[in-house]
Amino acid sequence: MRPAGAPPESAEAAARQKIAELTARADEGRLLGAWTLFHKEILRFWRIAGQTVVSPVITTMLYFLVFGYSLGDRLQTIQGVPYVDFLVPGLVMLALIANAYINSAFSLFISKIHGTIVDLLVTPLSYLQFLTAFVAAAVVRAMLIGGIIWVVAMLMGASAWHNVPIALLFMVLTALAFAFIGVVIAILGEDFDHINLLPNFLITPLTFLGGVFYSIEMLPEPWDTVSLFNPVLYMVNGVRYGMVGVTDVPVWQGVVLLVGMNVVFGGVALWLLWTGRKLRE
Amino acid sequence: MAKVKPYAGETLVDVVGVTKRYGDLRAVDDVSMGIRPGEIFALLGPNGAGKTTLIGCVTGLITGFEGAVKIAGFDAVEDYQITRRLVGLVPQELNYDAFFTARQCLEFQAGYFGVKMSREEIDELLDQFSLLEKADANTRWLSGGMKRRLMICKALVHDPVLLFLDEPTAGVDVDLRDELWEYVEALRDRGTTIVLTTHYLEEAEKLADRVGIINRGRLLRVDAREALMEEFGHRHVDVRLGAPVASRVAEENRGLRLEVLGEDRLRLHTRSGEEVEGDPAVQRLMKGLVEAGEEILEVSGGRSSLEEIFRKVLNEDRAPEGAEGVP
Repeated sequence: MRPAGAPPESAEAAARQKIAELTARADEGRLLGAWTLFHKEILRFWRIAGQTVVSPVITTMLYFLVFGYSLGDRLQTIQGVPYVDFLVPGLVMLALIANAYINSAFSLFISKIHGTIVDLLVTPLSYLQFLTAFVAAAVVRAMLIGGIIWVVAMLMGASAWHNVPIALLFMVLTALAFAFIGVVIAILGEDFDHINLLPNFLITPLTFLGGVFYSIEMLPEPWDTVSLFNPVLYMVNGVRYGMVGVTDVPVWQGVVLLVGMNVVFGGVALWLLWTGRKLRE
Repeated sequence: MAKVKPYAGETLVDVVGVTKRYGDLRAVDDVSMGIRPGEIFALLGPNGAGKTTLIGCVTGLITGFEGAVKIAGFDAVEDYQITRRLVGLVPQELNYDAFFTARQCLEFQAGYFGVKMSREEIDELLDQFSLLEKADANTRWLSGGMKRRLMICKALVHDPVLLFLDEPTAGVDVDLRDELWEYVEALRDRGTTIVLTTHYLEEAEKLADRVGIINRGRLLRVDAREALMEEFGHRHVDVRLGAPVASRVAEENRGLRLEVLGEDRLRLHTRSGEEVEGDPAVQRLMKGLVEAGEEILEVSGGRSSLEEIFRKVLNEDRAPEGAEGVP
């Protein structure tokens, strides 16, 4: 006779067998987990590509047409580079920075708001896999948009392929840094205002003032010196060096800054995921 | 796959001294309990009692708690990748991913757990929950009940050994509720251990092997359902007599716990654990009535439901020390 409250004998036996079998293969398929999340994140923005890819490309190309061709006639060259060419890296970075941030921040934040984050939090995905999948998808979107703008600009007559590996390195490191920032803000943010605060009041102003449309040599004192404290300046100029061969600041400084930013923001994002702060409370 | 030796531990889940604080509030207060392999365990408590928080501590949704949770011997914090692979959760809050279809959601959910599901497997699961015809519909357009069923499918994609159902029947119509509970029993028979919370206590009464009652973060009781019924519950037998002699009969049978319900109606209170047929109190009353020549028009019986027992336990928890519990 089984004690009161005991499950049926056959159910207990089946359970014991099942526990043993699943425990023995509990660590299988870990890579599939991270790949699935990455794949889902790519599909998420791709399903609404009109909004997430085409729209930012068109907006940025309008800048290119308006600034490049109207202003370009007046400015002629900057640092010996035709203004139309000079503008390409700035516009690539303008779109790349915004979209890297938006993709990771909004995707993670929306899943928090809709409650679907629970579906991820109960999975065996490691914190690093979770972070990697989110930022990798954001980097793909940002690089896709940046890449399209770059190619379309070249098709429209711009010449911007001085040192492609350097340009790509800066683009990837920049996208990665802002994707990490997006994850951090999405974790800490409690409503949509918090998510929009950073791009509206920090990222966009810093990007516009980061030499997207001009060289800081064109600025009067003290603004050219003040501009040196703007991290986006180093990112834009790194890409500008890669695309057209000119820069306001040494390229190595940009690499150091970006690696530092990635270590700091990647570290903070990972720490937040590890401690569960704001996500697993 | 080579046959592995069955799991030998006494419990599948061990919760040891778990406390989760939010500032001064202890949402879960020093809870210790075990879940046995193959059982259906009902965790009952009023809203805000700490059920969902406790489930969160076990499933990994909530971290930063004191104490320890072990699943199949693995620590839920240190070995989280193993323990989370073993557990499925149907959360209380309805959720849906507005970007994808029901089929895609299941495909992704299985993938997160490292499981590759074929289209046929996904369709089979959807079919079991009457969702197959909505397989390619965006989850945004599913009704509340359908969203709830899709959440159950998501919790099952990786065939967990332990399934938490946090209010799984909220917003689900009666037919589907019955179907769901049949499915839960079948699932348990196939070897899945089930922990559920529900507001429909008759469901817990029907299904659960053991019941835990939690209030204000503290686990007040954990016991076999029958044991709780026996300790807290009672059975009663109502008798309708042919004449208005109920008070006199009650007077004559002072040794029995008789309650006068009306001039011709009596209620005999007896302990819940004893069967009516073998209950000496019932036999004594009937024999006495027959011997006194009283006409018996109707006899009916009943017993306390889990709901009444649940209220009783909660009332005892609310009552100040030494005071009588509200009946």
